[in-house]
Amino acid sequence: MILPYLATALLILVTVYSATVSFRQRVEGATPNWIFPDGAGRSVRILVGLFTLVLGIGLVAWISLSARNSTQRSLRFLIPESYTGWVRVEFEIAGESPVPVEGGQTVLKIPPSGVLRTSSPEQYGWAEDDYFYYSSAGVRRLPNSGHGSLIWGKINGAESGPSGKRKYEEFFVGTEQQYRDQAKGGDKKNGY
Amino acid sequence: MLPFFLYFITGVITGFHIYALLSLAVYGVPFNPLEVVALLGSFGLLLAAYVSLFRPHGAAKLALVAALAIWSFYGPALAKVVRTRLEKRSELSQVTFRQPAGQTTALG
Repeated sequence: MILPYLATALLILVTVYSATVSFRQRVEGATPNWIFPDGAGRSVRILVGLFTLVLGIGLVAWISLSARNSTQRSLRFLIPESYTGWVRVEFEIAGESPVPVEGGQTVLKIPPSGVLRTSSPEQYGWAEDDYFYYSSAGVRRLPNSGHGSLIWGKINGAESGPSGKRKYEEFFVGTEQQYRDQAKGGDKKNGY
Repeated sequence: MLPFFLYFITGVITGFHIYALLSLAVYGVPFNPLEVVALLGSFGLLLAAYVSLFRPHGAAKLALVAALAIWSFYGPALAKVVRTRLEKRSELSQVTFRQPAGQTTALG
């Protein structure tokens, strides 16, 4: 990656230049040159002002366009009531059914095994996901942040196997103590 | 125009680089407080670029302070990179020959 080297080289240049200008003795009547100019003319200031205006408009347009084109939907995980352990969602699995979208959220209904396979692609970007326990009585929300969180160790990954590359998402459902206990034991419920 | 372009381009490039490093914090990567100082330095350079159109001498002083703020992050980072490269030893820098009597002779 060239960026750190470029940044360092420019920084050295700026430090040397600004130190030279700051500490050099100003001679009365000395004619300004392109290295040590004496301010910019009116036309240059107008040009820089226009340049800044165009840059600002371009930046705002780019940010708003990329926000509009973002197709990231948040995910709604429906987990079987009282399920504890690792949940895994495998994406882009041929022959599996796609996941439905309801109310702008992609709904991932996890089976009792804890493993959901879908042909839908994994989504990337900024979104806040929701987690629910489901049963015949209805659904109830699972806290996924803070001290009482029941969602831990969320990871996205990809692995290569005999059936090709698999993209997956995993997280642990349970209390912090349960998560730490299984992490110490080094075994996941589903064997992944 | 030279000071304007110099300060402006350096401010944008260092700012983008530090912002990219800081944005890793959303993935749980711990951030260095000096990165925030350096990011402020990048803003200072952008400011110095515009000041240089009116007061080149004052802008140079501002740019120098901003550059030093950026160095607070780049300096230790560069030192670490250099130290790591110098400390990297060859795989053959230490060879141990086992002798039949159980004694060893080390080269390296």
